[in-house]
Amino acid sequence: MVDLLPAWLADGLGDEALFWFGYLTDGRHLAWYSSVQFTLIAALLGGLCALGFGLLGAGMVGSRALPVRLFGKAYVNMVRGVPDVLFFLFFPLAFEQGVEWMASSVICSPEDIAANPGRWPPCPAANWILGTWEYLLLASVSLGIVYGAFTANVIHGALNAVPRGQIEAARAYGFSASQVFWRIRVRQMWIYALPGLSNVWLLLIKATALLSLLQIVDIVSWAGRLGAPNFTPSAGLVHPDWRWYYYLVLLLFYVLLTFLSEKGFAALTRWAGRGMAVAEARA
Amino acid sequence: MNLLDAIFADIALMARPALFNIYFAFAAIPLGFLFAVLLALGKASHNRLTSAFSRGYIYAFRGSPFFIQLFMIYSLVLSLNIPLWRPWGISWLMLSPLFLGPAILMLNTAAYTAEILYGALRTIPKGEVEAGRAFGMSRLQQFRFVTWPHMIRIAWPAYTNEVVFLFHATALVYFTLPVIDNQQDLMNKARELFERDYNVFLHFSVAAGYFLAISLVIFFIFRRIYRRLMAHLPAEPDRRIRYAPRWL
Repeated sequence: MVDLLPAWLADGLGDEALFWFGYLTDGRHLAWYSSVQFTLIAALLGGLCALGFGLLGAGMVGSRALPVRLFGKAYVNMVRGVPDVLFFLFFPLAFEQGVEWMASSVICSPEDIAANPGRWPPCPAANWILGTWEYLLLASVSLGIVYGAFTANVIHGALNAVPRGQIEAARAYGFSASQVFWRIRVRQMWIYALPGLSNVWLLLIKATALLSLLQIVDIVSWAGRLGAPNFTPSAGLVHPDWRWYYYLVLLLFYVLLTFLSEKGFAALTRWAGRGMAVAEARA
Repeated sequence: MNLLDAIFADIALMARPALFNIYFAFAAIPLGFLFAVLLALGKASHNRLTSAFSRGYIYAFRGSPFFIQLFMIYSLVLSLNIPLWRPWGISWLMLSPLFLGPAILMLNTAAYTAEILYGALRTIPKGEVEAGRAFGMSRLQQFRFVTWPHMIRIAWPAYTNEVVFLFHATALVYFTLPVIDNQQDLMNKARELFERDYNVFLHFSVAAGYFLAISLVIFFIFRRIYRRLMAHLPAEPDRRIRYAPRWL
């Protein structure tokens, strides 16, 4: 990357600055910077999934059918007692095994299964080897499941926070039940849901630090690799254990992400609350 | 039945690892709470420097993942081993996961708890503090007899949730810190058992059951304490501790 600098800038920077610029833009560092994509993709996809699961969960909790309501409540309360990291590891592994089980019932011959008692997968042909992108997708879905439960809580509360007068007014105009739900409740709930959704989003972006547990080479694993002490000159700059500098950079990255998200949600709240008395009272 | 035997075998195997999670959480709580009170008072302080430090600390620790904090502080402590800990002869303490785990959890929970306490601090009616001052109370007495009782009652339900979350955060400790001999926690044990027979449903469900059961015990104990704290106030229709996740 040093070669790409214009000559006047390279001369002006001095040798030391150039050296550090070269170090920070070598191939491994560039790979580190580009691995931010996994974090951001997981956050965005996970956020979308969480919103979907949240709407679904809120619908189930508010449902009139008892079994559906019970299932919804069980889902929403699940995050109460169990750490997110457990779900985060469990769901992709369970999904992988489920697919392998289905594949094995088609591919594997009975002899193969008999030759492999108590092993997983039942026969080598049914082994599904996941790459980074598959794991990323599964990680996003499991983030969506965990934080969807939080989102469902928020949306359920927000749906009930819509002033009764508005709903009665809609009914008085002759809106049907589904029209009241979609055109009044769902339209009006966002302003009440946004503060809660902002918090769920902040939790979710922090949970994206766990991607490395699913063998995704994300910013956390790269930071560990780059900071590890290096004593062989052929492998690059010789330096002692610098890991904590790299992790400090990650910490600041997440603080920055949090800061930007807060600003973004503040703008979103202003936008969603335009013309509403409640937003002015809150601001 | 075969499955039932397997479940009971797992429950027996994970009893000891569960103690490590409980130890991590409960070793972090007392100092974390004390530090949080100081941070909350610092954030509310009129002293520019104290306030800025407390605000910065709380924002940094609440704005970044606990997983990264674990990595960062652990590698920082490791790199200080040769210049500091070894000459002082405290390597055995500083590098022990049984010390470092609770220490890092303590730094993390202090920030979250401080934000809760700070929120409670702001709800204290000015009149009460003024009344205390009119009685001729010193600053310390004002805190002890006016601010503190009010703050702890307002903050208790949110603090309950924080303690449960702290307990859940202990699941991450051994993903970063070294596992020495059989000092394993629930997640570590579940993963070890999983790698042995690939039965993800059994082992992870039993681990989840342990987390759930201990979380319920925490809720129960904290609710009892809350009832005691509120015993002198007229009963309200709904004073249950409601679950709310770590709202920022």
